[in-house]
Amino acid sequence: MWTDSVMLAGLTLTAIFVSHTAGVSAPGRPRLTGCRSPEKETFTCWWEPGDDGGLPTTYVLYYHLEGSETVYECPDYRTAGKNSCFFSKNDTSLWVNYNISVVATNAMGSSVSEPVDVDVVYIVQPNTPEDVRVLVVDDDPGPYLHVSWEKPLAADTQSGWITLVYQLRVKETSQDTWEVGTGKEERDEEKEKNERRTEEGEREREEYNAGMQKGYNIFSLLSGREYAVQVRCKPDHGFWSEWTSPAYVQIPDYMLREHSMWIIVAVFAGFLLFVLTWTVNVKRSRYMSQMITSNMNPLPNSWNTVSFLPLLSRAQSGRSEEMFSALVTQHFPPTSSYDDLLVEYLEVYDVEKQELVLGVKNEDPLAPTRMSDNDSGRGSCDSRTLLTERYAEDGDKGGADRQLGQCVAELASPPLEEEKVEAWSAPFSPPPLHLQRQQVGGARAAYHSVLEIPCDSPCAPGSYGHQGESDISKPGGRGASTTLAEPQAQSAEYVEVQTVDHENVLLLRPLADPGGPDADYAGEDYSKIRDVIPDNVLLLQREPSAWPCVADPGQDRGERSCPTALQELMQPCKPPGPLQQGLRLVANGYVDASAMLC
Amino acid sequence: MVNQLSHTLPVAVLMCVFVSIDGVSLNDLLERVSQLSDKLHSLSTSLTNDLDSHFPPYGGRLMRPSMCHTASLQIPNDKDQALRLPENELLSLARSLLLAWSDPLAMLSSEANTLPHPERNAINSKTRQLQDQTNSLGAGLERLVHKMGTSSEVLSSLPFNSNDLGHDKISRLVNFHFLLSCFRRDSHKIDSFLKVLRCRTSKMQPDMC
Repeated sequence: MWTDSVMLAGLTLTAIFVSHTAGVSAPGRPRLTGCRSPEKETFTCWWEPGDDGGLPTTYVLYYHLEGSETVYECPDYRTAGKNSCFFSKNDTSLWVNYNISVVATNAMGSSVSEPVDVDVVYIVQPNTPEDVRVLVVDDDPGPYLHVSWEKPLAADTQSGWITLVYQLRVKETSQDTWEVGTGKEERDEEKEKNERRTEEGEREREEYNAGMQKGYNIFSLLSGREYAVQVRCKPDHGFWSEWTSPAYVQIPDYMLREHSMWIIVAVFAGFLLFVLTWTVNVKRSRYMSQMITSNMNPLPNSWNTVSFLPLLSRAQSGRSEEMFSALVTQHFPPTSSYDDLLVEYLEVYDVEKQELVLGVKNEDPLAPTRMSDNDSGRGSCDSRTLLTERYAEDGDKGGADRQLGQCVAELASPPLEEEKVEAWSAPFSPPPLHLQRQQVGGARAAYHSVLEIPCDSPCAPGSYGHQGESDISKPGGRGASTTLAEPQAQSAEYVEVQTVDHENVLLLRPLADPGGPDADYAGEDYSKIRDVIPDNVLLLQREPSAWPCVADPGQDRGERSCPTALQELMQPCKPPGPLQQGLRLVANGYVDASAMLC
Repeated sequence: MVNQLSHTLPVAVLMCVFVSIDGVSLNDLLERVSQLSDKLHSLSTSLTNDLDSHFPPYGGRLMRPSMCHTASLQIPNDKDQALRLPENELLSLARSLLLAWSDPLAMLSSEANTLPHPERNAINSKTRQLQDQTNSLGAGLERLVHKMGTSSEVLSSLPFNSNDLGHDKISRLVNFHFLLSCFRRDSHKIDSFLKVLRCRTSKMQPDMC
């Protein structure tokens, strides 16, 4: 007994030993890798064999339906290839679990795989779509691809038994390597999950969902490149099919019409811009030169170009309003237009080689610092000090209504200051020429400061008159504030002498109509003072021009009170003596002092 | 003449309006119920996945208690059988199945929030959605019946007798899992039948069917 069992054990061990050394054994456990149904009517299961044990091994697939004990064997081992089992329509039942297992058998033994439960409706994976075609269609902005395909074979979408949705992807062939389908290696659930995960991550391949339709258009492709297109499908509750093999297509070279249009637009705009800037430049330079010349022409050398600098700079900035306001507010006499800058003035030269410039005072009567007060002995309104007082008083009043008819004296130093034509008296103290002025405008009070010249011309004693009223008739002595104080800060306004009647009255009017003062204005208009005779009379040198002798200069009133009345200006002209000068009135109203001396 | 027209015109307009209000066209109705049944099945699949994430399916399968309570309903087993069914039968099957699940889903909803499962919250919310969508689909199918004018078939009665899932943790989980798997399958049946119905009765574009 004991020896029998020992012998049996020994034999078994020997057999095992021998079998191992010989390399044969029972087969290892096969494994079902998965089952798939392409159309929800049939299905196929695959397995992978285990170790075959060195012996020829057979594999048998058994299944039974859920709720039934009947075990069936696989009906078809061939159709689907090696290690597979194909279930035909007759063998396929839906909505029921199949319990499937595979048994591997060889001479040494057999082994059974793990059973797998399969419900056919959950394992649907269709075949790839059929007949993928790609067309290049020419269109307006650029060509596009029209992709078309057919449903996979055997899928019955017509009856609604299976509902398929499609997806395509496009790739430029020059990009990364193309991985064509993974084949049908593994079919179990985990592999599917992995596949799905990688599908999610492969977004860079440009996948397009086409829904249930069988055509799709792809736009915005680069010209001249080659593209590859693939299509796949999926049932409503199932797995994605494999991708079709790629269809290659070449996009023809084209120029985006958009681009060419924009190029043309850009060129045209650049050209327009160039023309515009050039025109503006030309115009501006012309304008500038025009402005400069017109401003410069009538002005004597007394006008300094410095005055124009702010003007010019403003003009260059291209804003004419600014420029004109600059003109008005700064140093220039107020005028309605820049033409009004033209200054008419009288120049009287001192015979003693001191030039007197009798000019229109433009503004800033407070420049008396430059003036030399030679008005010694004149404590009248003619005095400079009084003048400045007045200005200081009334300077802030701005352009209120002013009364005319002041005596104004402007004494200036010989070198003419910028933009000021100042009249000064020579070393002697000639009586300033009192000129009754007319108030012009509101804010623009202006005055003439004219030297008073005793009237001794052969001309009929003229009278200086003026238009408008003058309020200067203030009885009283000197110092009466009959002088019109000018707002010093304001720019002065020029008055033009219209006529000088026979009573030595200058008729003035505002310089609204410059007319053509320039035209008649010439260097020859200046008068030279020939002599200063006693009684403070300037003797002007007569000029040969035939100008009407209109008036006689007024008389010096140095010791007299300010001419507060018109009459005071109406001094009879004293005959000048050897000189017969007279005020000549230019046709446009300017007094030509050259011919005047009374 | 004009007066007559002015009287009849508003009536005609009103009639048109009523007709349009009453119909959703048949095509649209079929499309809607198909989509709803599709969503219902997808939701049940997702819920099953949530449950399986921590619940070993192996154990679940082996411990399958019984057959689904709707197993007695005679349904086509394959495509040929299914395509042979007339429309009203297809509709009737769908409605019967849907009706059979109204009680069990209510029970699952009530049990879901005390389910001993780590994914309980997701399971709970999805179960409630499942219940809502089932009710919507039921209402839609009712309208479809009226629309199609089929003779109202007597719906099969598929009683559900369980009151709860069980008392201990394991049996509750197992029963929950089992019921859900039954529902998932039945929702797939409903979806399939309705989609067959959609392609058969409506004049859908040849592209779609």
